[in-house]
Amino acid sequence: MRAPIGLRISSRRRALGISQAALARQAGISASYLNLIESNRRQVGGALLLRLAHELKVDIGELSGEAEHRLIAEVDEALADPVLQSAEFGGLAARDLVAQQPAAALAIARLHRAYLSAQASADDYSDRLRTDPLLAELLHRVLSGITAVRSSAEILEDVADLDEAERRRFVASITRETRGLTDVARGLIGQFEQEAKGRRTLSPMRELDDLIFERDNYFPALEAAAAELRGEIVRAGAFGEATLTDLLERGFGVRVVRSGGRELDALGFPGQYHFNPETRVMWFQSSAIAATRQFQLTRLYAELAASEVIEREVLAPELGSPAARRLGYRALGSYMAGAIVFPYAGFLGDAEAVRYDIEALRQSYTASFEQVAHRLVTLRRPGEAGVPFGFLRSDPAGRLTKHFPLPGLPMPASGHACPLWAIYAAFRTPEALVRQVVQFADGSRYLFIAQAHARRVASFADRGAIHTSVMLACDVLHADRTVYATGLDFADPTADVPVGPACRLCTRRDCPDRQEEALMPGGQPSAVRAPLVPRRFDVGEAG
Amino acid sequence: MGVDVLIAEDEPSILDSLDFILRRAGFSIESVTDGDAALAAIRRQRPRLVVLDVMLPKRSGFEVLKQIRADAVTRDLPVMILTAKGQAQDRQIAEDLGASSFITKPYANAEVVGTVKRLLAETR
Repeated sequence: MRAPIGLRISSRRRALGISQAALARQAGISASYLNLIESNRRQVGGALLLRLAHELKVDIGELSGEAEHRLIAEVDEALADPVLQSAEFGGLAARDLVAQQPAAALAIARLHRAYLSAQASADDYSDRLRTDPLLAELLHRVLSGITAVRSSAEILEDVADLDEAERRRFVASITRETRGLTDVARGLIGQFEQEAKGRRTLSPMRELDDLIFERDNYFPALEAAAAELRGEIVRAGAFGEATLTDLLERGFGVRVVRSGGRELDALGFPGQYHFNPETRVMWFQSSAIAATRQFQLTRLYAELAASEVIEREVLAPELGSPAARRLGYRALGSYMAGAIVFPYAGFLGDAEAVRYDIEALRQSYTASFEQVAHRLVTLRRPGEAGVPFGFLRSDPAGRLTKHFPLPGLPMPASGHACPLWAIYAAFRTPEALVRQVVQFADGSRYLFIAQAHARRVASFADRGAIHTSVMLACDVLHADRTVYATGLDFADPTADVPVGPACRLCTRRDCPDRQEEALMPGGQPSAVRAPLVPRRFDVGEAG
Repeated sequence: MGVDVLIAEDEPSILDSLDFILRRAGFSIESVTDGDAALAAIRRQRPRLVVLDVMLPKRSGFEVLKQIRADAVTRDLPVMILTAKGQAQDRQIAEDLGASSFITKPYANAEVVGTVKRLLAETR
């Protein structure tokens, strides 16, 4: 799915009227090598792509076609949707469409988002109808009420010799039951109205994705405010839990409390920490590790001291819905906390010095694997960027619960990824780092590093804590800047693990681990879960 | 002296109309409003037939039915299940547990009376 970078380089070069030889000289490579790059016969990335972008006076994103990449991936996902399974799209349909009809491609991507969102809420409703105990109770009351009314009405109509007392008794029963039914009907309507207001959709997450992608996961205003807050904190004492606790108490009247029990937040959620704005108490369960306490105290400090900065960012046009703005506020609050705990320049310098060794960085910054990994993906300051990483987090059911896209890396936006990815292998060896060099069907190669960990439990009764797995991905072009390349032979692609984005989006027909049908060029279904003896009524085929 | 029909139903209006239509059809009636009381009444009153609602307090109609079929004394007692949940799996559970008949609310009075008459005629 690589965009034709070579073509972009050559057309930009021609537009500027520079010869191939001149550009090659300026970029420090041979003219013949540049020729190979321009004709897409050599991959280009990392420092060389930066130099070329600099010489051609364009943004690196423009050369690598990141926005197009993302649109191609979205259109691919739309075309791979099971509802379109029997439609005949060629393998390059998405790329062709984006190249030739970008507006139509965007429309398809948006429609697909809207469709997924509608499907999610339809699933929610059908789940509710099937399993919701409240709804079941209301429906039971409706049927009981109707039964009583019908039975009494039949008695009034059919029994000719009812005495007056009996007649009154059954009329009263009908009156009572119909009143009851009215209340139930109101309850039902209220139930659905409430649902419609707060229903889960995929769109808010996508809106937030768009914002993060649009800003390349870098928010200068938040970085500036974070630098200022970091300054305030270190003027008051050494950066850490003690100073933060002191500042929160003196500046905002917040009391930090730790205890062993389970406490629910205002919404009834039993987290490891929560803040009660009424009592001004920031509570941590005794199991919350130092990294969690430091990070969450920083986040609280950021939200209290610089709420207007976060609010301004949340008003971005990408975040159209209130749900997206709420998600955005949460995500950007965490971003700011990360920027305070890991100040940009110092952290980038430290990361480069230890070659992005996450363990080493954890020790220096009293931070968790996930906190360090998350901050690494935000080191995208123009002119002062770190290695570009994508970020994924999965629960043990395989569902992706958090992600930051890496341009070019085909990453599903929801659901689960390819089961071969290191993010899942990491569950087999919790707390140990798993690394993997993968190759996608289009030949693009990435280094994946993942680690699974469980939150610390507070007591025996709390023993059910689940593991989550966090993964960073970087293009192999940048991998040698990291400690994780040590001992790996990137020159030999035969050692790569052949992977896809997710079964549904994967074109590898020969994968023995395929779990789900994929879109096949020409609408041919694959052989997953087919009968041993071929039949004509294959999945997705009408005749 | 046993009664003809024991009705186990917790909705007062439904119980009232069931009691009325079955009495008018000529049966002697005893009624209870929860599952435990149903089992106690079956032991004490020896009814010839039970009209059993599924969603009863204390012990569900299905549990009561299971107990009836497990006890050698009541094993052959005809049981008519009444339910507001008409789903296939409820009908299946009722059949598996040995219900004699299964009626879904809202029902027609004639359906209930007709079924009770038929079941009692079969046991004679």
